Amino acid sequence: MARMKFYCDAERCIECNACVTACKNEHEIPWGVNRRRVVTIRDGEAGERSLSIACMHCSDAPCAAVCPVNCFYTTNDGIVLHDKDICIGCGYCFYACPFGAPQFPEAAAFSSRGKMDKCTFCAGGPEADHSSDEYKKYGRNRIAEGKLPLCAEMCSTRALLAGDADMLSDIYRKRVINRGASVLNWGVSYDKIKLDS
Amino acid sequence: MKTLNLLLLACLMVIPFQVNIAADTPENTGVVQNPGTDLWRQVRQRDMEIVGTSQVKFPGANVMINVAGQEWREYRVLTLIPKAGLVIFLGLLGVFVFRILRGNIKISNGRSGIKILRFSQIQRYTHWTTAILFIVLALTGLILLFGRQFLIPVFGADAFGGIASLGKTLHDYLGPVFVVSLTVLFVLFVRDNIPSPKADLKWIMRGGGLFGKHASADRFNAGEKGWFWIAILVGLVLVISGLVLDFPIFGQSRETMEFYLVVHGIAAIIMIVASFGHIYMGTAALEGTFEVMRTGYCDTNWAKDHHDLWYEKVKDTQVDSSQQVQSGSETDDGAQRQSPDTA
Repeated sequence: MARMKFYCDAERCIECNACVTACKNEHEIPWGVNRRRVVTIRDGEAGERSLSIACMHCSDAPCAAVCPVNCFYTTNDGIVLHDKDICIGCGYCFYACPFGAPQFPEAAAFSSRGKMDKCTFCAGGPEADHSSDEYKKYGRNRIAEGKLPLCAEMCSTRALLAGDADMLSDIYRKRVINRGASVLNWGVSYDKIKLDS
Repeated sequence: MKTLNLLLLACLMVIPFQVNIAADTPENTGVVQNPGTDLWRQVRQRDMEIVGTSQVKFPGANVMINVAGQEWREYRVLTLIPKAGLVIFLGLLGVFVFRILRGNIKISNGRSGIKILRFSQIQRYTHWTTAILFIVLALTGLILLFGRQFLIPVFGADAFGGIASLGKTLHDYLGPVFVVSLTVLFVLFVRDNIPSPKADLKWIMRGGGLFGKHASADRFNAGEKGWFWIAILVGLVLVISGLVLDFPIFGQSRETMEFYLVVHGIAAIIMIVASFGHIYMGTAALEGTFEVMRTGYCDTNWAKDHHDLWYEKVKDTQVDSSQQVQSGSETDDGAQRQSPDTA
């Protein structure tokens, strides 16, 4: 059985935010809710790196552990989803998540946040696949069509990878080998490596 | 495939030498350090937040990894919830054991049938408003803490979602009302709850009469004063933490909310367990107590038993002859005369 994960290759991410835009567009996400975001550290300095961060679909999800109404569930593929009908909008999942993945459509008095929304790995929710209810609440279900998440498909540099964890680590391992010197010597990645033949 | 990998590996072997020649700067003497190691070692740290920049602008969006979340998760799930359950159970057990050992405490010499006013109308209304608000807030709060463990098996996940949603809404809207109610309660009752060190200490040493000898008390005894100050001080903690949590619109960070959630939870458990004692003492523990807050009037013998100093002060001013059980002829010191039919 596949274990679905994201992996963002920090050496390739150019902070173009195409993943953010693709996700917002595909699922018609309302204002203020951002399922995915790009965080850049050491902005403007040598060693600047960017990572595209959304729900990491943790094996031991902190959001699921703290939810007072137990509205989270993990699919057979390891995708962590939740049921908006049960969600009470308390915000605990947002506090527990290391990545700040859960988002809320409102920020109002009396602690009313609306229903939690987060990255679904483009796998929809508990409603029937491809139903209009599912689309309204959770966005498009690409996994049920046999496709991968749109953010990874749209990534301009193929920095963001999404899919089975074994396959992802295989791809990344090959990249590391092929890169060779670029991580050791700043700027070599786009030059040809001169081999001592 | 394998040969290609071996070829790539061979090329990799060559590269360190290339790098040494290519990066021929004074700093690069010997081992070339991966410029990423420092960066990723920092990111991997458990004790500091990694703050960067992001085009997305919710509070905390520029934080890559929030380290406090896991600490809070572990505390809530592994410590707070089990310990709170244990403390509440022990509190209930304590009340139960006290009842078994002491039974229902009767008025010595029985009722006189003569009533005097003890609580004014506004004091009663404020008390009951605060009490009912407290019960609803406590129950809805306990649903948020323990519901997942105990109520989902009973109601099922979907129904419980509805119950919890209603509970949370009630909790969030009634909380600020409780703030007002508690404040009014404080103003109305604080004067008679100021500690009188000598009298209160004596009352405590005698266990309020538990250890045999009679313990004198004014309008409120040391036990009641203790409850008052717990309710006010722990209540203040609940109110402040509750207001921070109820209005997350002032840019509170996740760490702030997690801290106040823990404070609110611990204070709530203390208040709930203390309330077990107060509710028991105010209802079933003693004969003649519950009617006092229910009607405002208490029996004079009850007053002599439990609040003799207060009774001496007020006996001439607050007798309500219309409350007398027996309609006997009144004399000048009618309050002190025992009605002939009571033994």
